[in-house]
Amino acid sequence: MAHCERASKPLLQCLRSNYSRSLAGVQRHGFHSTAVAADEKAPAESTSEPFYKSPDPSLVSSPRLERQLMRGGVNPIGSRRRRAALQGSSNLPFEELPYQCFQEARKILQADREEKLADIQKMEVRIANVEATPTEQMGEQAKKSKLPAMRIHLDKLKILADINDPLVKRKFEDGQGKGFDVSSFHATGINICDFATGDMSKPIYQYLADQKWREYRRKILVQRITQMKVIPDVLAKCDPVVDTRLYFGKHQIQPGEFVTAKTTTVPPKLDVQLFERGEKLVTIAVVDPDVPNVETDNFDYRTHFLAVNVPVSATATKVDLSQLSADSQVVLPWLPPVAQKGSPYHRLSLFILEQDGSKPLDFTAVKASETDRDAIRLRTLQRQYQLKAIGAHLFRTLWDDTTQEVMEQLGFEGADMELRRKKVEPLPYKRRNPSSFR
Amino acid sequence: MRSLSPALASLANVFRIPMSLTPVRPAVSRVCHETLSRQSAPTTAAVQTAPFSSTSTLAKRKGGGPQVDKRITLIRYFLYHPLTPRPLRFSRNRFLRHWTIHRAWQLFQAQQRKKQELELQRQYQSMQAACEELRTGAGDGGKLFRVSMNKKGVFTDLFPIEYARFQTESPAAEGWNYEWKRPEKKY
Repeated sequence: MAHCERASKPLLQCLRSNYSRSLAGVQRHGFHSTAVAADEKAPAESTSEPFYKSPDPSLVSSPRLERQLMRGGVNPIGSRRRRAALQGSSNLPFEELPYQCFQEARKILQADREEKLADIQKMEVRIANVEATPTEQMGEQAKKSKLPAMRIHLDKLKILADINDPLVKRKFEDGQGKGFDVSSFHATGINICDFATGDMSKPIYQYLADQKWREYRRKILVQRITQMKVIPDVLAKCDPVVDTRLYFGKHQIQPGEFVTAKTTTVPPKLDVQLFERGEKLVTIAVVDPDVPNVETDNFDYRTHFLAVNVPVSATATKVDLSQLSADSQVVLPWLPPVAQKGSPYHRLSLFILEQDGSKPLDFTAVKASETDRDAIRLRTLQRQYQLKAIGAHLFRTLWDDTTQEVMEQLGFEGADMELRRKKVEPLPYKRRNPSSFR
Repeated sequence: MRSLSPALASLANVFRIPMSLTPVRPAVSRVCHETLSRQSAPTTAAVQTAPFSSTSTLAKRKGGGPQVDKRITLIRYFLYHPLTPRPLRFSRNRFLRHWTIHRAWQLFQAQQRKKQELELQRQYQSMQAACEELRTGAGDGGKLFRVSMNKKGVFTDLFPIEYARFQTESPAAEGWNYEWKRPEKKY
């Protein structure tokens, strides 16, 4: 080690002198640029001021200056190591970094992008032409089949134009990483999930978010709803295409999680992320297929919530079930789910069903016909109103410490009852001491 | 000898310095063999007693036998061995640069493939157009076309074995054999 230190000493000294020389210039430059960004009148005085008088939080590296900054209420940005490294760097933007291979690669990608942009323009002109052509000239059927295909191709081109851009990738990771990370979510609450506001209107970010969702979260969801048999029990099939998150208060509920009765007394909030353009009107239904029925020795359905005509889009994702309007959307208001003591767990399945052609349903008619929570079947609703399941979620409830209290609040009938499994008589050959033995 | 650092040991290994009891990572086969022979006894020796159970008796008994998967032991051994090189880690910018270059390379290859494919397609179509022209435009009722399509005397299935020669870096010592005649086929 000693050899090493002795050998590197001149080098270090050399570096140090270089560093201090470059420091002055760069720091002035750095400060100048930030000052311009912050306010316009600062730069004239800041150039004359030495660095130690007003250190830059993104460049300061000496502990004394850091302390001075922090006393002023400004925290230095990043690690000290990073700040020290930035002092010596010319702080180039990412796309101008002088790596030859990188720059050559960027040239190729940019050429491709320009090609794609030209294609997009050409495609837009073509679509406009087809739209402008009178129907008699080219036939209604041809127009009907041609236009959507051309629009799909245009969307694809728009995605292809941007998908190779490293800055798009970085922006997506920056904007989305927070939203998808569950641990950071728990630390800071619900506001962090506002990841989608600015970006999600663009097709490339929609595409990237869709890919990311399909990679993991959708797989989990599909596994949960199929393994817990929600899919054949409540609806025949469901191919989720929207990302649905469910929150009770500030807590996000993972698909299939057990939720205490006290938590579910307030209606949940939903975050329905659409990955395509345009607004959709959806029907939201929460169905419990596990209501025990002692008379028939079977399980019944109960609809805990039903709302129609709920607008969702790629940018407007938040749906608060308690905030939906009672006279145009909510058919059946939220009924807190409770599981009787001794009953097997209840699967509370939430379905998001797209209304046919995103046309609004007649609210008064629906409200008049769908009044009995226990009589509604989601399959029937689906057939009757031409609904298509585009999203699902699931949580479970079981008897717990808070259920009794919630049941009393609700005036639930079977609150004082405990369900017991029937004693199953063993088959004769499995009996320990059958009468035939005596 | 035990106190020797793994880096030194690896250097010694590289420079072929003979060492007794070197802490160099033993060969995969030896470690595997040892681990398997040590641990396979309770798990594989368990004989199925119940007719329809795949659980061994030892595993079935409560708290009986250590529940160790020897594959995991081996994976952990080699993954966390000091001589195993650390995983390749990039900083964020460097990873993005790497990604950019990778995408560009993929794109370039795709462009090349497409270009080649289009060129082949063009050649094929131009040949087809020439044939069509010969068939209809030559004015001889397509005779020339039919004759040209005749595959007699052309190797359609396989080349004769005498034409085969090993691919060599330099020409043959005796050069071209002008005396060679194709042997007569005996039909």
